[in-house]
Amino acid sequence: MTVGLNAFLIVAGLLFAVGLLGVTLRQNTLVIYMSLELMLNAVNLAFVAFSRYNGTMDGNLFVFFIITVAAAEVALGLAIIVALFRRRQSVMVDKLNALSH
Amino acid sequence: MLDILFYVFSAITLIAAVLMVLTPNAVNGAMCMIVAFIGTAALFVLLEAYFLAVIQVVVYAGAVMVLFLFIIMLLDVDKGEGGATEYKDKLTIGASAIGFLLLVMLVFSAFSGAHLPEPGLTAVTENPEVFNGGVPFTTSSKSFGYSLFTKYMLPFQVAGFLLLAAMIGVIVVSKKHDVAEE
Amino acid sequence: MTAAQILLAALLTPLLSAVLIACFLRRRGTLASYLSVAAAAGICAFSYLAIQATNGSTIRAAIEWLSFGNFTVSMGFLFDGVSATMLTMVAFVGLLIHVFSLGYMADDKAKGRFFGGLSIFMFSMLGIILADNLIMIFVFWELVGFSSYMLIGHYLDTDEAAAASKKAFIVNRIGDLGFLIGIVYAYWHFGTTNLEAMGAAVNADSSLISWAIAALLMCGFIGKSAQFPLHVWLPDAMAGPTPVSALIHAATMVAAGVYFLIRIAFLFPESVLGGIAILGTSVAVYAGFCAYGQNDIKKILAYSTLSQLGYMSAAFGLGYPGIALFHLITHAFFKALLFLGAGSIIHGCHHEQDILKMGGILKKMPITSITFFIGVLALCGVYGFAGFYSKDAILVAGGLDSTAIFALLTLGAFLTAGYMGRLVWIVFFGEPKSDAAAHAHESGFSMVLPLIILAVLSVVGGWIGVWPEATGEIIRDNLEHLHHAEGHDEMHSKVMILGSAAWIVGLLGSLFFYGVGKNGDALQNRSKPVYEFLKARLWFDEIYGFYVAKIQQRVAVLLSFLDVFLIKGLFVRGSAGLVGLVGACSRSLHVGNIHGYVYWFLAGILLLWALASGVAL
Repeated sequence: MTVGLNAFLIVAGLLFAVGLLGVTLRQNTLVIYMSLELMLNAVNLAFVAFSRYNGTMDGNLFVFFIITVAAAEVALGLAIIVALFRRRQSVMVDKLNALSH
Repeated sequence: MLDILFYVFSAITLIAAVLMVLTPNAVNGAMCMIVAFIGTAALFVLLEAYFLAVIQVVVYAGAVMVLFLFIIMLLDVDKGEGGATEYKDKLTIGASAIGFLLLVMLVFSAFSGAHLPEPGLTAVTENPEVFNGGVPFTTSSKSFGYSLFTKYMLPFQVAGFLLLAAMIGVIVVSKKHDVAEE
Repeated sequence: MTAAQILLAALLTPLLSAVLIACFLRRRGTLASYLSVAAAAGICAFSYLAIQATNGSTIRAAIEWLSFGNFTVSMGFLFDGVSATMLTMVAFVGLLIHVFSLGYMADDKAKGRFFGGLSIFMFSMLGIILADNLIMIFVFWELVGFSSYMLIGHYLDTDEAAAASKKAFIVNRIGDLGFLIGIVYAYWHFGTTNLEAMGAAVNADSSLISWAIAALLMCGFIGKSAQFPLHVWLPDAMAGPTPVSALIHAATMVAAGVYFLIRIAFLFPESVLGGIAILGTSVAVYAGFCAYGQNDIKKILAYSTLSQLGYMSAAFGLGYPGIALFHLITHAFFKALLFLGAGSIIHGCHHEQDILKMGGILKKMPITSITFFIGVLALCGVYGFAGFYSKDAILVAGGLDSTAIFALLTLGAFLTAGYMGRLVWIVFFGEPKSDAAAHAHESGFSMVLPLIILAVLSVVGGWIGVWPEATGEIIRDNLEHLHHAEGHDEMHSKVMILGSAAWIVGLLGSLFFYGVGKNGDALQNRSKPVYEFLKARLWFDEIYGFYVAKIQQRVAVLLSFLDVFLIKGLFVRGSAGLVGLVGACSRSLHVGNIHGYVYWFLAGILLLWALASGVAL
């Protein structure tokens, strides 16, 4: 394969940017959360690309841990969103502004 | 041949991601997300990280996204909620898109040129000896296990505790109110 | 007991008495009075023992009181011939005045407070006499000022007394400002405030004498001993009870300034000494003139004190501190006698103080009158009495220095005889001019005994040969020095003639001018403008009043405005407002909107990235 490291990094960067766009543009909390997962995914891709191109295993192992942490975090985050929904009856961000001044 | 595969799978991933961000329907968004994860897993395969590709599909696409779907359907968000009114003005979208593309270009330019060599893919051995630098890249999961239990032992144990804490946290947070008030 | 311990006992006895009176005996006036007199007697006894124990040598003892880093303040005694002399006088005269007060204040309701004040005054005065460094002197100086304030204001319910005590204290404080600056400067210059150490330093290197230090320390003397321009408090201080006037404002406190000068005599260069001489002479003459315009017996005596203080500082300025001390001691004797006599008369006339309402006291109160006459003769410098020897020495010293000073001092002697004569002829002779004077009677034993003793001292006190060996050394030294000065003998005879002429002419002249037993003041009757001019005393009080009311008040209002506007408004409220502003700005960050937080988050990350890559800062 003649595709260089830079190509993978560009893809990862674009994925990250799309995820960031989703976080800032959407009002639905769940979609925001999915966009966050997309950003994590982009980072994973970058790590694996570096790992392969530098010839070491460290990047892959780090992705392993990232996936672990992301899974735990999703579980907890969704539980919080459910609890929030029970309180406020909505998951739309513009209605969740009780902490504003 | 592999190059073409790279371009195809990259395109799939990116398009699915963009669709996920833009669709007003959350369930559709979760579906697009799954496609994006599978695309990423394909890219991992292209990078000869087979173990990780499988883990990605099983954990991310399989468990995490299913959980998302459960919650989306549980919370029963209306389709009407967040339709066209959900987006902010076209101006904000346009500005944000341009902004983030600039971010990408920044990232790319930071890594271009003299910073990184353009290595080609090196040859891969099945069972290499281990030496003191980074563990060399292999495709076998044996080196995964080896690294986890020697070099990365501490993060491994901490990750275990983290999972325990997450489990307990979920149980506590999702208790119903009337049970808590008793 | 060592001499130092005896001195400590002498110092603490009146303090103990004052504390006991203040705590327990304020209602029990009689008991308080006995305790105070006992304390005064104790001081006398201890002083006698101390002088016996020292045998003419100098005693030094010190303990450290405060220390900040390199700088230590110590409290100690320096007991040499000068302080022995002063101590004898203060103790003895103090005891006599205490005894007098037993009789004078017998029917006063606030006796306890009065005697407590006398005790604390004795403590403070002893502190000044025995002190060995400038800071200790300053501490006791302030204490003496406080005692004076308390005692002048004894008659609480009269406005006059309250105003007078305030005036005394404030004017003293103005002098003390210069004093304090002088102490700081002296410490900076010499590295120590100990008197002996400074004396040794100056002996070793006479270029260390600085006129600035001398002038600044002199400010304290000007305030305490009522010289120009801070003399305005002394006549007003007569609002206090007569024993207070006798003790504090004649014999001891105002003399503390002169004593202090004698202690630091080694610091004075020629220029400053010359200034002091001129200052003293001018006060002597000024006060002499002012006394003619007064009708209150105590005020006349106050101006007389002012005049004699001028003589003392003139003596010091002419270079003879020993003679200044000599005049201080003799003045203490006869001025205390005069004041106590006046007190006896006032008491006998049921608190009448105007001389124009008295008359014929000689017949009614013989002992008082005789002792008063003796005091007058001593004050005028009649040959054989105490005042003659010291005044004579001052006139000789003045004459040897400059004719102008000599002329002025002799004029002062003439004026003294004149107004004292006026006093005597009006008060003691002729017919009583008021009922109070007509019913006057001789005072009790406790008041008459001190008068008699002081009268004896006023005669004997000047016979320097009679003084005990340990005291009076510096006086003898200075007199020797004077006798051996050039041109002494012919100046001496000149002074004898002119001095005698001065008092004879003064006394007889006043007899002819004022007459015996005339109604009203002759000067007032004959030429009102002159009388009014003399009464105005050069308008010092009016000038000071104008300054305080118009100028100082405006400055104070300006400062208060600055304080309210600048400090309270700008700094305090302003800084509070600034904090509030920052709080309000920070509060606006809490939008409650998740997207807002994401943007702030992003901004923070970009900032950190820039910092980490060295782009920013």
